[in-house]
Amino acid sequence: MEAVMTGLFVGILFGFVLQRGRFCMNSAFRDAILLKDNVLLKTVFVALLVEMVGFAIMDSAGAIAINPKPFWWGANLLGSFVFGIGMVLAGGCASGITYRFGEGMVGAMTAVLGLAVGGYFTAAGFLKPFKANLQAATTIPGADDGALTLHGILGMDYTVLAIIIVLIALVVWFFIARANKEKYEADPGWGWVNTGILVGIVGILAFPLSAAAGRNYPLGITAGWINIVQVIFTGATFNWIGMLIVGVVVGGLIAALISKEFKFRVPKPLVLLQTFIGGLLMGFGAVTSGGCNIGHLLSGIPQLSLGSILAGISIVLGAWVASYVMFVLPQKKEQ
Amino acid sequence: MSEVKVDKTLDVCGKICPYPDMNTMTTLKKMEKGQILEVLLDYPLSVERIPRNLKKQGHKLISTEQLDGPNHRMLIEAHGLK
Repeated sequence: MEAVMTGLFVGILFGFVLQRGRFCMNSAFRDAILLKDNVLLKTVFVALLVEMVGFAIMDSAGAIAINPKPFWWGANLLGSFVFGIGMVLAGGCASGITYRFGEGMVGAMTAVLGLAVGGYFTAAGFLKPFKANLQAATTIPGADDGALTLHGILGMDYTVLAIIIVLIALVVWFFIARANKEKYEADPGWGWVNTGILVGIVGILAFPLSAAAGRNYPLGITAGWINIVQVIFTGATFNWIGMLIVGVVVGGLIAALISKEFKFRVPKPLVLLQTFIGGLLMGFGAVTSGGCNIGHLLSGIPQLSLGSILAGISIVLGAWVASYVMFVLPQKKEQ
Repeated sequence: MSEVKVDKTLDVCGKICPYPDMNTMTTLKKMEKGQILEVLLDYPLSVERIPRNLKKQGHKLISTEQLDGPNHRMLIEAHGLK
């Protein structure tokens, strides 16, 4: 079996978990301010902590060699901010629109089309010089010209710092939950703890399998869609991340069929245009910043890349600004 | 269960995230206390998320019924203006 085929396997798992767990970072960030609902946000935190533990153990055991993304402060800030705005318009993050493609949501399909087109033109088309110049002009390298990381700055071992961060996060979380007298309420679905753990496990599984296929990085989305565009239009071959995306769509489809949730859902033409434009912004933003919500947030933050941490913050800010303008302001005007 | 008298029906089928939730909430806000809203929706995430947020606003979920596939019918009793 070719090494890229493990991408398909991990993708199917990922798509299945995303669909059944209703995992979406767009909802996670937007709902925190719009609906004051932080259930999905907690899922994201659980997934990050699980991945951090997994990466830390695998890295110290020599099963993987972490490969944090570089710090391009200008590209990280601008690209990810635009990405955050785009995902609110698109009605889903990069992974969200990919599994909903499999669920039969036509608005997600047009968003994905935008993501692939916007991503392709920024990676290999007319926007490439802009992206490359911005990245080069705002690079701050770490020690030995490597990526700038939290453990690098502190002069610590990656595994040690990752474990310390996880422990601190758990203690802080425990006290916040106790202060808020929060009780664990089971959701009608999988529940946020289970979903977070499963997403984290898929991320851990992805790292060594992807590395074995020559791509030393865990999960990502945008690069996979760009690969698919290249396969269709330039005769390129499927790489690991391209196969992963095929898997996510198939996994989402399988999960939707099993749960009898598959249905072609077609929003109004204007909404289709909106999600397409949102996708374009996401594609441009992800490639400029060097990652989407999966590449940077889910895969990069657990590797303690400073670029990914900045990108993550910027995605959240972009999503909040767009949500405020699109949803909160109109409500206020009405009152 | 005896059939509840529906005062208003909201069809949010085909709408993208987060409109199913938002339209439901804004419609409920304009309704009188005790009135019943029927929501027709086909977005699984909202089927799970709307009940959580109803509670916070004081509205009461009467029932969620799965029709066919992802299509659901939700009956909600409005809390009315505070």
